[in-house]
Amino acid sequence: MLRILDRLEEWLIAFLIGAATLLIFVAVVHRYSLDMSAEWGWDVLYDWLFVIDLSWAQELCIYMFVWMAKFGAAYGVRTGIHVGVDVLINNLPEWARSKLVLFGLLAGALFTGLVGTFGANFVWHIAHTEQTSPDLEVPVWIVYLAIPLGSYLMCFRFLEVAWSFFRTGELPRHEHAHVEGLEEEVEQAQATGRPEPVFLGESITLAEEREHIHGGHSEHAGPTDDHGPESNDRGEGRP
Amino acid sequence: MTGLIIFGLLLVLMLTGMPVSIALGLTVLTYLFTMTTVPIESVALKLFTGIEKFEIMAIPFFILAGNFLTHGGVARRMIAFASSMVGHYHGGLGLSAVFACALFAAVSGSSPATVVAVGSILLPAMVKQGFPVRFGTGAIASGGGLGILIPPSIVMVMYAVSTNSSVGALFIAGIVPGIVLAFMLGITTWWIARRNNYPRLKRADWATRFRTWRKSVWGLMLIFLVMGGIYTGAFTPTEAAAMSAVYAFVVAVYVYKDMPLSRVPRVLLDSANMSAMLLYIITNAVLFSYLLTYENIPQQLAQWMVDTGLGPIGFLLAVNVMLLLAGNIMEPTSIILITSPVLFPVAMALGIDPIHFGVMVAVNMEIGMITPPVGLNLYVASGISRLGMTETTVACFPWLLTMLVFLMMITYWPTLSLWLPRTLGMM
Repeated sequence: MLRILDRLEEWLIAFLIGAATLLIFVAVVHRYSLDMSAEWGWDVLYDWLFVIDLSWAQELCIYMFVWMAKFGAAYGVRTGIHVGVDVLINNLPEWARSKLVLFGLLAGALFTGLVGTFGANFVWHIAHTEQTSPDLEVPVWIVYLAIPLGSYLMCFRFLEVAWSFFRTGELPRHEHAHVEGLEEEVEQAQATGRPEPVFLGESITLAEEREHIHGGHSEHAGPTDDHGPESNDRGEGRP
Repeated sequence: MTGLIIFGLLLVLMLTGMPVSIALGLTVLTYLFTMTTVPIESVALKLFTGIEKFEIMAIPFFILAGNFLTHGGVARRMIAFASSMVGHYHGGLGLSAVFACALFAAVSGSSPATVVAVGSILLPAMVKQGFPVRFGTGAIASGGGLGILIPPSIVMVMYAVSTNSSVGALFIAGIVPGIVLAFMLGITTWWIARRNNYPRLKRADWATRFRTWRKSVWGLMLIFLVMGGIYTGAFTPTEAAAMSAVYAFVVAVYVYKDMPLSRVPRVLLDSANMSAMLLYIITNAVLFSYLLTYENIPQQLAQWMVDTGLGPIGFLLAVNVMLLLAGNIMEPTSIILITSPVLFPVAMALGIDPIHFGVMVAVNMEIGMITPPVGLNLYVASGISRLGMTETTVACFPWLLTMLVFLMMITYWPTLSLWLPRTLGMM
């Protein structure tokens, strides 16, 4: 059940960002091909394009991103991307630190829970009016439903993370230095017996060529040398 | 007085280590519940309308574009081009790293992304060639900072959104300072390398240069798509960002074929994750600045600043010190969103140009990226080089000094940032 929720959340936000990008792209292309066909007198194309009205694209894009922002923020709690000022608490003794971390997570749950409730209230009131959005003309309350739904989900995620921190002492942590796909590439290269990962490609070869020409500096280099990019994975050792 | 309470509350909440967005939101709620009679409904409304601006949507698009570029082999080809152009000078690959960072910064809006893209390829190569890890790490971590200054820049979009300035003018204003800073960082690299006699590459012939240029041209064209599009008015900045995301996708998957189609959902998810985090901070920061405005704090502060007779020079110096200090403990988005509602009205009251002020803020953020304890570029670079944080920080020191000199130039010589947008008639 939770698994389904997780996947659903991931699919929803990935879909929203992709679809919004395509939407704006299509709207821009449409605008320019309309102008161009008018200029060059391609009446058939013009008439065909003219019928398509994309004036709602901006509004839909905004709504899609608002939805993405609300649900993505909930997903972000799960991946630990919401950063805070952790300089002070990281220098505290462990018992104090874990108390403060727990406090922070519960404060997150409190805030999102409150916001969710305000939002639900607001949506409830607005659902009894005839208010619709300016371009799309959908009822506004459907659009704004993102706030209570997203906030409650986020609240749930905060509680989830708090509970697992309480039990195991582990927090999800977002790796900024992590390069997606780099490790697989290296592993693949090693598995198939290719000498070096494709990512280092040209610059390494270039460097090697030069190295022989210069003659000076041979294979005594630092620790990153042979392992190359796979070190990204574990590298972010915070002090 | 109210201002002190609000900021004190925010500071206490933030120091407990909770996410900045939550700290902002809770400050507002606590204050509203206990101290005022502002109807809570207005808060709910703000939560909906906070990010309902088309300009803000440039941020997710730029993040998406940047991710496609990072994983799509664009950086790799730009590095090859950069090292064929400048690799034969003192500093060789180090200089190439700065140049490649500048090129990549011109297509990507984020600073850590630039460090990852350039660093994960060049740093191993540099170590292999006999450069000390420290030198490479310093050059790449500080070069990556160019991502914030050279347009497109997510930090600039943030500033523009929270102060109602023009994103386009700000982008154009970033070009000249960006080139100047890239040049200064390059000279620093060159100078250090010359003194220590680090290896150089053999001079590449023009055929190689042309070949590497042709391979990287798909990425380089993006610079003209975005900046040209915004300058000519063909696109709004948000549309330009969306176009560049689609373009980067096509280049990564179909032209360079470095990224299989199957990895696209993963990139989409990662970009959505990052953008949602930023948008969430924005939502709560809007709430926060609404509270500040409601309590008339920016106006009072502006009045007080004008009355003290500090003047623009002293004010700018104070702002720089404050932003640099804030840059030590917070990341750029939060700093800009929290401070600009307060600082911007003061700057306006003192007659400082909004665009000039924005470029100055961006340079401050850039320096904040390589100052400990919270400097995202440092984390990223130390992740790639596996140096400890302290060593990485020390490694960046020469470039940090260069940046501070540059900051003084930007602060007290507005023409540097304002000349180009004025000449182009954008302001």
